[in-house]
Amino acid sequence: MSAAEGSNPEYVTARVRSRRRKLFDEDQYRDLVRMGPSEIARFMEETEYGEEINRMGARYSGVDLIEYALNRNQARHFADLLRFAEGRLYDLIARYLRKFDDWNVKTVVRGLYSDAAPEEIRSDLILAGELDEGDVDELIDAGSVEGVVEALEGTVFGEGLEAAYADFEATNSLVPVENAIDRAFYESLLRGLQGGGEAVGPATELYVEFLQAEVDFLNVRNALRTARTGAGLDPGDYFIEGGRLFSASELSTLAENTDELVARVRESTYGDELDEALDGLEDAASLVEFETAVDRALLAYADRLSSRYPLSVCPVLAYIVAKEREVTNIRAIARGKEAGLSPEEIEEELVT
Amino acid sequence: MLGTLTELTSVVLQEGTQAGAQPAIPEESGTAIGLGIAVGLAGLGAGVAERGIGAAAVGAIAEDSIGLGTALVLTVLPETLVLLALVVAFVA
Repeated sequence: MSAAEGSNPEYVTARVRSRRRKLFDEDQYRDLVRMGPSEIARFMEETEYGEEINRMGARYSGVDLIEYALNRNQARHFADLLRFAEGRLYDLIARYLRKFDDWNVKTVVRGLYSDAAPEEIRSDLILAGELDEGDVDELIDAGSVEGVVEALEGTVFGEGLEAAYADFEATNSLVPVENAIDRAFYESLLRGLQGGGEAVGPATELYVEFLQAEVDFLNVRNALRTARTGAGLDPGDYFIEGGRLFSASELSTLAENTDELVARVRESTYGDELDEALDGLEDAASLVEFETAVDRALLAYADRLSSRYPLSVCPVLAYIVAKEREVTNIRAIARGKEAGLSPEEIEEELVT
Repeated sequence: MLGTLTELTSVVLQEGTQAGAQPAIPEESGTAIGLGIAVGLAGLGAGVAERGIGAAAVGAIAEDSIGLGTALVLTVLPETLVLLALVVAFVA
């Protein structure tokens, strides 16, 4: 029965579905693409983001205001999810939201690497995970990538990061460090669910299925990125365990041949559901198009899972993914406008 | 709960053995007991159904996506189960 383990999926999914529907649709994006930064801020004032825009309006302006409002709004909505949920559902959502710890740590590392001001780094944080403002401030105060690695010793990120730091020192590229953080997040998440003697109920199974899909798509993207940038990196080195589709060595060979990679995805369990998105993948000429197609495929898969299992954790996860995508889209529009891109060029970047 | 149940059964059993000829439950009351169980179970079923619907309806109201009227109607829909059970109770 739905009351199992004290969770309340009915309530949470009702709220989440309603919020999912209020996200921007294609028409609104089309309007947004034709606006300037200050117009976008004014447009957002009328929507979900009004509260944040008004609160931050006095201190920031233009694209910074938009960026800050987006991140704050995202954190608020995700904190709401935890407020709604109870029991097992709460547990599953909280685990997933640690993804933003992963994001925050990466942001701090990137910021320190590029010598950004602490204030700038703070504006890019999304405080929806377990690390609170104080914890992240400590990381920022660490002052260097090395300091962050040391500060994270003993956490889930610690182990992989130390090895990655050696690579970082050798190549002076952040890729190994970022990948170590991602890998630590997904692998500890999946390990915590599958092993550890925890009973795997139907809810957890769906959750694992979704995470495996996410890992698979992340692997596809990483493989393409490393293969196309041609930096001589082996995609197998950046493989994240836990997906269903590939093994590390397979990924290395597949990354060199996009057609084979697409064929592989098409034959897999995702194939039937993702035909359209995969056609997009095949036609995609540039890396950007390919990546938006991968994002679109993940979004479609999440939606499919959530309509197939309405009273599970899936609608919540689909909402989180969709909300993240919306924030990325608006940011892309605002930044694109600032950089003077044409509406057509910006539209290419959007994932709807 | 379980304790009282065993006590009750032992009382019923003793009554049966002591009274001998008299059954613990009079025969003519069988229909009434059956109806009671039927209506009670129908009520329980409706309650279980309304639990989920009610939670979802309140969630939807909180997000302003449906009105209170719609939410109320949807929530009490399973109540028809109990009404049907009552109809059966009156007919029998």
